[in-house]
Parts: sequence; structure tokens; C-alpha cells
Amino acid sequence: MAVVDHAGRVRPTPRRSWLGAIADLSETRYWAYWLLVPALVLILAVVLYPTVWGIGLSFREMRLNRLDLGTGFVGLKHYRALVEDPIFWLSLQNTVIWTVTACVGELLLGLAVALLLNREQRGFRVAAVLILLPWFLPNVVAGHMWALMLDPRLGVVNDLLVKVGILSTYKAWFADPNWAMAAALLVEIWHGFPFFALLLLAGLKAIPQDLYEAAAIDGAGPLTRFRYVTLPQLKTIIVASVVLRVISLVNSPDILLILTGGGPGRSTMVLSLYAFLKVNKEFNFGYGSALAVVLFVLLMVFSYLYVRLANVMKD
Amino acid sequence: MARVGSMSRSKAIGDLLAQVAVWTIVLFAIFPIAWAFLISLKPEEDIVTATLQYIPRRITFENYVAIWTRSNFPTLIGNSIVTTLTTVAICTVVGTLASYAVTRYRFAGRRGLMMLFLVVRMFPAVMIIIPLFILMRGLGLLDSRLGLALAYTTFLLPVFIWMMKGFFEAVPNDLEDAARIDGASRLGAMVRVVLPLVVGGLVATAVFIAIGAWNEFLFALMLTTSTGSRTWPVGLQLMVGEFQLPWGSLAAGGIISIVPVMILFALVQRAMVRGLTAGAVKS
Repeated sequence: MAVVDHAGRVRPTPRRSWLGAIADLSETRYWAYWLLVPALVLILAVVLYPTVWGIGLSFREMRLNRLDLGTGFVGLKHYRALVEDPIFWLSLQNTVIWTVTACVGELLLGLAVALLLNREQRGFRVAAVLILLPWFLPNVVAGHMWALMLDPRLGVVNDLLVKVGILSTYKAWFADPNWAMAAALLVEIWHGFPFFALLLLAGLKAIPQDLYEAAAIDGAGPLTRFRYVTLPQLKTIIVASVVLRVISLVNSPDILLILTGGGPGRSTMVLSLYAFLKVNKEFNFGYGSALAVVLFVLLMVFSYLYVRLANVMKD
Repeated sequence: MARVGSMSRSKAIGDLLAQVAVWTIVLFAIFPIAWAFLISLKPEEDIVTATLQYIPRRITFENYVAIWTRSNFPTLIGNSIVTTLTTVAICTVVGTLASYAVTRYRFAGRRGLMMLFLVVRMFPAVMIIIPLFILMRGLGLLDSRLGLALAYTTFLLPVFIWMMKGFFEAVPNDLEDAARIDGASRLGAMVRVVLPLVVGGLVATAVFIAIGAWNEFLFALMLTTSTGSRTWPVGLQLMVGEFQLPWGSLAAGGIISIVPVMILFALVQRAMVRGLTAGAVKS
């Protein structure tokens, strides 16, 4: 189409701006899909494609420091090696101890904090902000702050425990295989409990007040009200937040990598850390991938069963 | 009368106990930060002493000067800033569009997509890191700040989309409908009506993503190999391991790196808490 101007000259139509073109596109029925294209392309490129690739890698040989081995298909070799690898079984056991203890500890502490803060007394707004702070601190700093406090020679924790009389001499927490896991768990619980406090407090605030009033009229004491009003009302949030927390506890070896590196011995080696060290230190990409795949499958099975179980119990 | 008296008395005792409990937990939460700050202010000979000094006898900023001028800490911080801003830019543009689509339109596959964005969070970092390392090496993105930012979107983009969902859902549909009746295109309604209403939420979400990217350690450890792109958490960790970083400098480095986090957190914590909890409470 062309336009004839007043002087009789033919001019091309002024090109419509690209913004106008997008506005037109927004009127088509596929607009929602267009909006999703960038996110889908990105997720496909940086998550799904690498994941499929990584699963494939677990059936192949790949060691960056042994390129002579090639990258051939080796079938289930890594998975068979894994079943016979005592460190794998130890890491699996440690993963369960680590995840369950940290999650239960964080949940209980978080619930206590939420119940307390929900009393909305003077100063609690400020307290809530301060309590949330550890969750936003980087793993590296959180780890080293605690390493400074738990140091065998100069740590303040040792100093305080000796002064109070609980300890007779300073203790090298992270050098003792019996204590390293407990010390790391303390750091993890400190780091993670605000997550539960945050979500559970929001959940508590959403409980309709008349439920409590009705229970009080029926003569229910504080414990009965907690058992029959608060807990059932919080159940969905507890279930959801536990799944999210377990996923990140199982998946991220950061705190242990920084504090202990899996030691002493292998007393704090968890599966995600073992897989990461296989790749980062030994450059054994094939075996590392097999470990990661096992981790992923276990996590999927857990999440599925857990959510199913929670739903069954609701009925 | 006596009954009312005992009630208010037991309430007063309960309140007092709650105060004690809450402030004990606050102490537990912030003591490590305060302790690191105190250490960062002490000269090295006052840190390594026979008897522990709780309150610094002498205060010095030596440690801050040391970590800033005698190590590559400024470069590390610079890399972290570039990587963080890139991550936030990618997540904000891509995530806002996607989140808008899934909350404000109804279309086939919508629920499936929301599930996809949720399940993606379940993927172990290690499982993605291995192939990403190889793929990025092939594309020349290994050891680059853009490559690292892209890697961060693997876990931060889904979080962004879910968090923004709560804010978009809070905007009534009527406003958009009214704009449409007035002749605005869907794009116009989105840009001129809905987006301005969620600016607060958008900022809070972006800050949350920024903190996540700023703090990230594992991807950065694997995907950066030189000072050209290494971020501060990796750099600090390596300094501790390789150069036996003195305690004062380590504490000072830690404090410097968490100051931006604390400032950002303080500025938008209210909106951020709302965004983080909106989804949980509704469902």
C-alpha cells in the first residue's frame, strides 16, 4: 500500500514502529505463548538440555584428566561401581542424617520462633527482621563466621563452654569425627531456621481468629488449641516448606564443602558433596554424573511419596 | 476480680517469658555477625591471644585496608557486581513476561508450565553443573561473567516467576479490562496499567534474586577459573585455603561482602517477605 500526498507524489507507507507490531501481536490468540518463549528457551537451554546431557554422561566415560580413555559408551559401569563403592553408601547414610536432623531442627526452632513472634508484643517487629538475617547471609561468610567461633585455639564457643564449666579443655570440633557432623549441623540450623520462621509466621497470621475464639468457648486450653486449631491450619505450609527445604538440603553441599570438605575421614561426606568433589577435584565427569542422577532420582521418589502421604493423611 | 487479676498476671508472665525467648533467639541469630565484626576491628596481635578479648581493646581499620588494597578483593567484588546485575537483568525481563503470562491469561498447558517451573528447582545443582561446564567450555562461556549469570538463571528464574506470580495476582483484573475497553492493546494494558502497580513487588523480587546471585558459591567455584570472572565467595574461600588469610582480613572481607546484602534487605524486606510468603499462605 502506498500513500499519495498532496503534491501528487507517491510515498511509501511510513514504517510502523516495532512497538506497534508487538502491540498487534498482543491481540493474537497466541500472545500468552509469545510471552513465555524467552523463559522456555532459557530453561530449555540451561536446565533441560544440560540435564538430559548429564544423564547421558552417566552412561559414558569422561575424565578430563584422562582423555586417553575417550568418551565412549560404558553402559551401567558407573552404576555398578557405585553399588560397590563404600563411600557412596556412607555418603547416602550421612545425607539422610544431615537432611533429617537439619530439617527437623530448623522446623522446630522455626515453629517456636513463629509462635513467639505471633504474640505481636512490643519490639517483635524488629526482632523478626533480625531473626531473618542469617537466611540471607552467603554460605561462605556463614561458614567462616562459625569457623572463627568454633576454632580449637581461639574460638569463642570453646572459651564460653570452658568458662561455664561444660568443657574442661578447648575442643577441635571439626577435627573430631564424632563432633564434626554435629558442629556442621549447628551452623546449618542457624542458617536455615529463619526460612521456616518466615513461612510459618505468615501461616499463623492467616489463621482466622474466630477459630480460636470458638475453641476457647468450648473450653479448649492453649495446648488443645495448638493441637486442634493451629497445627491442622498450618499443615499445608509445613508440608510444602519441608519439601522445599529437604530439596535444598539434599542438593547443596556448600556449607559442608566450606566447613569440613567432607572430613575428617569421611564423617561429613554427603552425596551431593561426593559428586561435586568427584567432578571438581578428580575430574571424573562420568562417575560424578552417575552420583548426581542417583541423587536426583532419590529426591524425586522422596518428594512424590511425601506429598502423596501428606495428601492421604488429609483425607 | 481475683480471677481477672490472676489472668492478667499469668499473661504478664507469659509476655515476659516470650520477650526473653525471642531476644535469646535474636542473640543466637546475630551473634556470629557481631562477633565477626568485632574481630574485623581488632589488630591481629589482639586476635591471637592467650586469653580471649571480648571487647576490642584497640580499634583499627587495618584489616579492611589490608583486604581491599593487598589482595584482589576489589576485582572479585567487581566481578560479582557485573554477574549479579546481569542475572537480575535476565531474570527481570524474561521472568516478568513469563510470570505475567501464567498469572493473567488462561491457556492450554498453563498448569503444566507452573509445575515445570517448580520441578526445575528440584534438579540437583551438581547434576546441572557437570554438563553446563562442558557445554560452556564448547561455547566459550566458561570462565565468563555472562556464562555464570546464565548458570544462575537455572535456579533463580523459577524463583522469580513464582514470586512475581503472587504480586501479579494481587492486581484486580477489572483495571486491565477497563484499559482494554478504552482501546488499549494487551501490550498497552500490561505496560501502562499492570506493571506500574507491581513495581514494589518487582523491586523486592529483583533484590531477592540479586542476593541469591551475589551469595552463590558452588556454580562459581566450578565455572570460573581465573580472576577475570571469579566472584568474591570463591575468591575469599581460595584466599583462606591457599594464602592462610589472617583472621582479621577474613572477617573484614566477610563484613564488606555482606554489607550490600544487609542494606538491600533492610530497604525492601517488608515487600520481600510478602512476596516470599504469598504463595505459601494462599495454597
